[in-house]
Amino acid sequence: MASLRCHFYLITYMESLDPRVNRLNLSTTELTSKAPLDQLGTYEVFSQLKEDKPYFHVGPVHAPNCEMAFLFAKEQFSRRQTCTGLFVVETRNIKVSVFTEGEDTVYNYISNPGELANGNTESFELFHLKKRGKQHEYIGTIEASSAEVALSMVKSEFINDKPVYNIWIIKTSDIESSQDEDKIIWDTLPDKKFRDAIAYKAADKIKEFKERQ
Amino acid sequence: MYGGGNTFEHIKSNGLENEDPEKLAQFEARIERGEKIEPNDWMPQLYRKQLIRMIEQHAHSEIIGALPEGTWITRAPGFKRKLALMAKVQDEVGHAQLLYSAAETLGKSREQMIDDLINGKSKYSNIFNYPAFTWADSCFISWLVDAGAIVNQLANARGSYGPYCRALDRICAEESFHLKYGHHCVIHMATGTEKQREMMQAAINRWWPPMMHFFGPSDKISVHSEILMRWKVKMGSNDDMRNQFLDMYVPKIWELGFTIPDENLRKNEVTGRWEYTEPDWEEFKRVINGDGPCNKERLAVRRTAEERGRWVREALLAPKTEYVAPLA
Repeated sequence: MASLRCHFYLITYMESLDPRVNRLNLSTTELTSKAPLDQLGTYEVFSQLKEDKPYFHVGPVHAPNCEMAFLFAKEQFSRRQTCTGLFVVETRNIKVSVFTEGEDTVYNYISNPGELANGNTESFELFHLKKRGKQHEYIGTIEASSAEVALSMVKSEFINDKPVYNIWIIKTSDIESSQDEDKIIWDTLPDKKFRDAIAYKAADKIKEFKERQ
Repeated sequence: MYGGGNTFEHIKSNGLENEDPEKLAQFEARIERGEKIEPNDWMPQLYRKQLIRMIEQHAHSEIIGALPEGTWITRAPGFKRKLALMAKVQDEVGHAQLLYSAAETLGKSREQMIDDLINGKSKYSNIFNYPAFTWADSCFISWLVDAGAIVNQLANARGSYGPYCRALDRICAEESFHLKYGHHCVIHMATGTEKQREMMQAAINRWWPPMMHFFGPSDKISVHSEILMRWKVKMGSNDDMRNQFLDMYVPKIWELGFTIPDENLRKNEVTGRWEYTEPDWEEFKRVINGDGPCNKERLAVRRTAEERGRWVREALLAPKTEYVAPLA
């Protein structure tokens, strides 16, 4: 049986249809590597979809510093949906607990505090993974002398609750977060209707076309 | 937007004999229960390797796929179409970012993936090695190539690897606008002047064979592909995906009064499957191996972007931060 022959059959190279590309006068012959390595740092991004909703982990970005990580995160994760808050933190600054499953909660593996009375405290942000396959959710902020002490302080609160499969704990000072006055960066989101499927209705045109046939 | 028909690596041995049988059993039981696999979970080497390959190809396809349409932004007819096409192309590049991140959690660095794209080692969807001659070609891509991609992506979103599924959920939500926008463009061409209808029909004639290639050759049932299906890396055969696409979109093309350049194309009402002339797989192989009309241009554009951006990356290099694999 004859096969479906492609219109472009045996065209193995053609001049670009994009005049900008032809002006670049690209070398199309050699395939080279881009070394040396220049990979930027990794940051995790958390966002809040509505004022009264918790922050959730949404994914990573790569950037040379916190400020640029925030800008990339804004484009990558809040370009297409409503957003009321966003923050980034360097991935290596997130303390990750053990993982558990089934009915086993991570708090079974948190030891009780040795000493709570310690003069110097700082604040920590706490995140729970409540369901496998989902992302970490913001639970609260705790003042403590260390991340370990912070976890032991909240242990009693969550030990009889639904199981928590993993905890992330982050020093508040490691976070780059949007402030109230930054919220205007999301003000124009609802105006961009051209990014919504609903802006492209054409059923009437099809109907009219069929009637003409 | 993404071309399916992944070229999975065919290896003689599955390497499973070197895996811990107890851990392997737990891993398979987890997938069987419908749970996701997460980056910190134990997984067989074969699973990791094939997922990296698949997600990486997907990411490259988003980057390269933005090129044929991106070319049309400056010439899109009217302000509204320019605005929409710009937003769509921006989305596609954003999808690549999400996908590279998902692949990174499996242990391959973003740098290495981009390097493998520009040195020709990694593949991307073959359909983007063809040229978009007219605005109608751009309309075909926006509607039907995206439609094909969505068929694949919705299937893969039910797969077993957590970070990939989460990236796909986000991507599919964004793609719904692409599909509607593309259909809108084609409807306007179809209901426009005689010249516009001719342009659209010519684009359909040009793009139909690559569109049939898009889902990949029939996959032979092998032990290898059986394992990938069991592990929910591969969610359906290439023929199933192609059939689903034909089922959903051929009637919509016909509805607009266009023809499809394959006289054997029809739905067999007994089997419920579409019958068609077998696509030219020699052509497919030749193009995927580098000899298509635009392969060289696509990679050259990507490489030039990389070279021209080098001074920016060098200026930004910050020894205070550190590249590590993302957490989830």
